[in-house]
Amino acid sequence: MRQFEEADAVDFVVVGTGAGGAPLIAGLAEAGFSVVGLDAGPFFRPLEDFASDETAQRQVFWTDERIVDGANPIVMGDNNSGKAVGGSTVHFAMVSLRFRPEWFKARTLLGYGADWPIDWQEIWEYYGRAERLLAISGPVTYPWGPPRPAYPYREHQLNGAAEVLARGCEAMGLAWTPTPIATLSAPRGDAHPCVYRGFCRVGCSTNAKQSQLVTSIPRAIRAGAEIRDLAMVGRIEVDEAGRATGVHYLRQGRWRFQRARNVIVAGYAIETPRLLLNSANAQFPEGLANSSGLVGKYLMTQSNQAVFGKMDQEVRSYKAPPSLTVTEHWNYCDEKDFFGGYCWMAQGPLPIEWVNVLTGSKGLWGRALREEMKDYNHQVGLKMVGEMLPDPRNQVTLTDELDQYGLPVPRITYSWGDNDKAMIAHALDQMQMGLEAAGARDVFRQENDTCHLYGTARMGFDPETSVVDADCRSWDIPNLWICDGSIFPTCGGVNPSLTIVALSLRTVDRIKALASRGDL
Amino acid sequence: MSERYPGYDVLSKRDGPSWNEPTRSAIDARLNVPREPRFFTPQEWRTLQALCDAIFPQDGDVDPVPLAAYVDQKMAENHTDGYRHGALPRQGEAWRRGLSALEAEAGAAHGTGFHDLAAEKREDLIRRMQAGKLEDSGWGGMPPATFFEHRVIPDITHAFYAHPKGWSEIGYGGPASPRGYVRLRIDRRDPWEPAEAKPGDKAAARRKNQRVR
Amino acid sequence: MNPTAVISRRREHAGDTKSPSTWRRSALRRAPVTKRGAHQWTRAPRNERSDELAAQVGRRLNGASGTLAASVLFDSGIEHYVGAFHNPAMITPLITAAASLAASLHGVADRRPAAHRFRDTVYAAAALAGCAGTAFHLYNITKRPGGLCWQNLFYAAPVGAPMAMLLSGSLGFLAERVRDTDAHEDPKILGLPAGRTLAAATSAGIAGTVGEAALLHFRGAFQNPLMLAPVTIPPVAAALLGRASLDSSDRARPFTRWWLRLTAALGFLGVGLHVFGVHRQMGGWRNWRQNVMSGPPIPAPPSFTGLAIAGLAALTLLESRGE
Repeated sequence: MRQFEEADAVDFVVVGTGAGGAPLIAGLAEAGFSVVGLDAGPFFRPLEDFASDETAQRQVFWTDERIVDGANPIVMGDNNSGKAVGGSTVHFAMVSLRFRPEWFKARTLLGYGADWPIDWQEIWEYYGRAERLLAISGPVTYPWGPPRPAYPYREHQLNGAAEVLARGCEAMGLAWTPTPIATLSAPRGDAHPCVYRGFCRVGCSTNAKQSQLVTSIPRAIRAGAEIRDLAMVGRIEVDEAGRATGVHYLRQGRWRFQRARNVIVAGYAIETPRLLLNSANAQFPEGLANSSGLVGKYLMTQSNQAVFGKMDQEVRSYKAPPSLTVTEHWNYCDEKDFFGGYCWMAQGPLPIEWVNVLTGSKGLWGRALREEMKDYNHQVGLKMVGEMLPDPRNQVTLTDELDQYGLPVPRITYSWGDNDKAMIAHALDQMQMGLEAAGARDVFRQENDTCHLYGTARMGFDPETSVVDADCRSWDIPNLWICDGSIFPTCGGVNPSLTIVALSLRTVDRIKALASRGDL
Repeated sequence: MSERYPGYDVLSKRDGPSWNEPTRSAIDARLNVPREPRFFTPQEWRTLQALCDAIFPQDGDVDPVPLAAYVDQKMAENHTDGYRHGALPRQGEAWRRGLSALEAEAGAAHGTGFHDLAAEKREDLIRRMQAGKLEDSGWGGMPPATFFEHRVIPDITHAFYAHPKGWSEIGYGGPASPRGYVRLRIDRRDPWEPAEAKPGDKAAARRKNQRVR
Repeated sequence: MNPTAVISRRREHAGDTKSPSTWRRSALRRAPVTKRGAHQWTRAPRNERSDELAAQVGRRLNGASGTLAASVLFDSGIEHYVGAFHNPAMITPLITAAASLAASLHGVADRRPAAHRFRDTVYAAAALAGCAGTAFHLYNITKRPGGLCWQNLFYAAPVGAPMAMLLSGSLGFLAERVRDTDAHEDPKILGLPAGRTLAAATSAGIAGTVGEAALLHFRGAFQNPLMLAPVTIPPVAAALLGRASLDSSDRARPFTRWWLRLTAALGFLGVGLHVFGVHRQMGGWRNWRQNVMSGPPIPAPPSFTGLAIAGLAALTLLESRGE
């Protein structure tokens, strides 16, 4: 791997190497720019480093202290962000769905949230490129939305839990499909196909999962980029002219400074605003790129409620990726009395996840819990991914408490709105109907779960109502860019990773275009 | 308690193709957890053990999982969750405060220590903690129900289901790398997965489970 | 039985195109190959020659049937083991394929130009089992969610697989019919000329097998360019055989013969590639208990070999008759 001097300004320093950062690092390096990618987490070699164990694999999660509050505090840790080269794509559930086109004009066409400054047809092209980058295994034809090309790899075989979803949907007259998913159904290069071990959400030890760690990162290194792991960025430096000059980061016990002509922040919707806010200086007392006051605001997560039940047969949901079937019916059907959409997917909780569900949703403990756990192999569940509406009161702020780096611990405040609650109620009813139609009994609801993060540096049309423009460039500081889940003005009813990768690929092209006309 | 997967021990797969080296070393370390407290004081340790016995009873088990030891390990080595409810102090402080508050509650209600309470009284106290109905000043503003939900329940129950004994009991296939699974459909079982005892045919399940490698 | 003359096959055919439609005066038997590898053919007295041809072609067809049966035996053995024999009927292809293999081995060893009741019975049963298996597999697909969709075509009971059993039985049955031909007649199958019937049947069999390989290699996203081989080479063989079946002349078809040999070799090459494919799975051969089941099916490709052998036998019949 090529290495750069800290004192020499590189063209780009990218903070974060996940779905937002890694495609940029690779794409910019391939375009001939000098690029350094920094990540707070380690550079794992999954074949040698990853155990098949929920507890040991907490090594890939972001487990630093964060304070959660509000009426509906968000569960962080294993649920949301990763601390590893490759970011949360190292442990994501690999579900790779496209946005419904109308969501890019949610305000104009659907009457809620905000419009994106990007046209859906343009993104459609980048979705295709993202799907090829990740060799998505998906259905030959997709039941919803405008036509899309066939997925690069074929759909996976369904496990028992996925088949239950399909049976439920067929009983309800809803369409379903094998989920487009970023794990291989056939060999690719040196990577083995998926062996259905079922530990996807704690890290794939076979490299079948097409995380950024095994896709963009090797490309970036081949193209001459440097990946510096275990490098926690604490502050972005800005000169008197109001341009970013580089980043301060802690590595091997010492604060260092990497000079750069451009800084790209891709730390996801908590760390990105945290870094921008913590970089406040005399010139930008409210934090960088924050003249709108919106850095950290409009935080969104997605409703991730579920229904679970028992089948008489053995389902053994621990086998195979957890979400092998999906129905997007309610993303594309507008006959409902709330805004936004949602999909639901099959579930495959491992034992610790499962005991969390039973204790959290049924309040079980003692002998009752231990007995109930013995039905583990018969449990089956459906879980929604639902769009929550942007609300400026949901936000990320800094506290006075310091973490192990000496940086202020973030506070994450979240409360559901009435629309969010209406959607959750609708989805729980629908999913319960589906699960019971498939033959499950003793059905109960998991009412409090959320997942994914968005919105704390939103993209928009003008500097008053957004943080970055359509090129992911901050309005306030022309050589400061943001590219991750935080730029989403609305979050849609599907998992975010594919859209983040598509936006990242688009940003590569935008930067190349701007550079070629001298606009960097 | 009924044995659902007779004769199944997930550790019989330890040296087979389902376990890779990182898994073996992680589980070996887990099985060798220090049995003496490093974080908790002797008084806290006794309260914690009594709490573990109530939250996850193992009376009658031949080789109970040392749940309190895993809670102590988590605190001593500061394995954080990655988030903390705004109403709770840091995890170690929350545990110390919660355990001493439970002792105070037991003393106030029954004039005895929490660990000396009869099982029913102990469970009753826990139910009131779960419902947020404890009000001793020892809680110091920490809501008992939040402490119960965010500290007591996850820290204790996760310890059991992170242990091979927990996996064997619920018929979980356990670690799986490099070997994963072939038969994914409903009511299909790979020969290296546990077999569930069907009514009246426990012996067949036991035979299959003894062949699991 | 002694050869009376050795002539070049091509010349012989050219000279004999107008002969009456009796069991070939130019009946041919393969003699030891010459140094250059070109086959020489021997002229034999009429009845002996015809008997010999019948036995020889019959034995080759027995061999073709046996190759298919072996492929089915091992392939269905693995696949139905994966399916945990949850339906007792899943043992059927193991029994019929084993019996068909035994009958075929018996047939290959049997030089008598006559059908054998044991073999006939086994082959007929195998063909029937193939038909029943296809019906079972179709039923299995339709009762799954999604019905006739890609998911079930890829991963439910494979529709094409029992066809290999049907083909093994049919080729064996045809072998017996060829053997059974009266020494004074052209071999007929169900009243139709044997060579052309066999060529047509083999062509269809290859086409069907190509269909199955195409489906499964599509499932594998043709991730290795060599996965294109079974969907490019055998279709040409099927087309050439199909054309031969429509052609009443008895001219030599060296290109077709050569292409069928290539197809036969592909079957063996496929085994090697599938062995490599198992190695490419996680854990490789060390994890064989999983990977033999979840990797590419090692016993499947020789279906092409069996069919190509049958195609070669059909060519011999075509080239030796005059219609």
